[in-house]
Amino acid sequence: MANKTVLIKIKRQANPESQPYWEEFELTWRPGMNVISSIMEIAANPVTRDGKKTTPIVYDSNCLEEVCGSCAMLINGRARMACSALIDKLDQPITLEPFSKFPVVRDLSVDRSVLFENLKAVKAWVPVDGTYDLGSGPRMTPDEQEGAYPLSRCISCCCCMEACPQFNESTGFVGAATISQVRLFNTHPTGKVLKQDRLSALMGDGGIQECGYAQNCVEVCPKDIPLTKSISEVGKDVMKKAVVDFFRQ
Amino acid sequence: MASSVQTSPRIGKGVPPLRAGQGNSFFWRRLHSLSGIIPVGVFLTEHMISNFAATNGPPAYNDTVKFLTSLPALIVLEWVGIFIPILFHAGYGIYIWWRGDNNVTDYPWQGNWLYTLQRYTGIIVFAYILFHTYTMRFTGVHLATHPDQAFKKVHDELLHPWAMAIYVIGVVTASWHFGYGIFLFCAKWGIATGERARKRVRAFGIAVAILFMVLGLSSAYSFVNPKNQVPANSAASVNSSTQSGMTQAPATTDNQ
Repeated sequence: MANKTVLIKIKRQANPESQPYWEEFELTWRPGMNVISSIMEIAANPVTRDGKKTTPIVYDSNCLEEVCGSCAMLINGRARMACSALIDKLDQPITLEPFSKFPVVRDLSVDRSVLFENLKAVKAWVPVDGTYDLGSGPRMTPDEQEGAYPLSRCISCCCCMEACPQFNESTGFVGAATISQVRLFNTHPTGKVLKQDRLSALMGDGGIQECGYAQNCVEVCPKDIPLTKSISEVGKDVMKKAVVDFFRQ
Repeated sequence: MASSVQTSPRIGKGVPPLRAGQGNSFFWRRLHSLSGIIPVGVFLTEHMISNFAATNGPPAYNDTVKFLTSLPALIVLEWVGIFIPILFHAGYGIYIWWRGDNNVTDYPWQGNWLYTLQRYTGIIVFAYILFHTYTMRFTGVHLATHPDQAFKKVHDELLHPWAMAIYVIGVVTASWHFGYGIFLFCAKWGIATGERARKRVRAFGIAVAILFMVLGLSSAYSFVNPKNQVPANSAASVNSSTQSGMTQAPATTDNQ
């Protein structure tokens, strides 16, 4: 056990346009290692397995406790958070790749701004203009709070989108995270004033209809958000609106 | 240390963002979903039940065919109620299949397998339907004018082991595609939204699939091992096949 090592293969890419390539790193095993701590260690001593000096790995991370959503990547081929991926629970060699459906910025860092664009498209906020004091908002019952809380845990990591077979360039599917945020804000007593706008947005190309119900989203979600329930609930609301619009518009 | 390169706020490549309120894909995709239940699923149900009459012997089956072919505006019913919806469901389904990325190797979970299976069963069923309508509807004895020949036509075709194999595959895949399709319909349209409700609907869908497989396979069995007489009837088929435009398929089975 004395010289136990950890073998990590990392898919690297110098810039958005260049070709990706693999580099292997070997680290001395220590108790409690996770993927982020391993990349930090590589950064401290950026030397490949065969002794070649290289550049530190570029990656996104922040909180190191699975609440910020930055460090999502493909670990052994699967979308997950690097901070909560314990080395001892992974098969070696551990492969680290950037998300495959998002433009690579460099190495493991990808541009996930599509989620931000999607959240803007569905107006995923509570509209309070803030020009004068509106007083306190309507009360939420404990039941409503309990329904909303799990949805509010979304960390925008985009794992649900990366793992979704329907999320790709030809469908332009909006992804589970955004649909779940629509459910969150549509059930919010103040947020629901924009309900119709949000449902209309989700009827656009790439909207909720592109869901194929493979249910990978709910499996990969690091925050255990009931994403499939959100898709079904919002699907019902969108369908209702479509029928009502058909007869009333 | 975890440096972040300044990127443009506009997304140049990758998956495009939601086109809020644009396009008609919502309508077509939901119509595709609906068409799988009504009318295609309704027709499949009728077809399974009607064919099951074969288990009561040739006269019962021929009577059923006689009743169905006596419906008014048969050609309109066929095209509007069956052919066009199936062609639409299959055509748009292939488009959906082509745009999805199967990823069961990386995410080998049940729902993902069933997502993939729904695409493969769809394409198999469509190939089967093309074969099936070619041999049963568009070639051989025209059953709308000769409903009394119905049992014999199916009997003769199913005697061929390859035809029987194709039927078994067709029945199994069509039953599964419809059964799981019921679940997908209920989940996507928000008829069953909760975890437990969706599990119940899925169990119901799978039960329908199994029921349809039993119905279809026992009907197929009855066509080759008919209740009551018929062996005589099939022996006579060599002679009777010369009449009324019986062509390829039955002729080859006679040679077996």
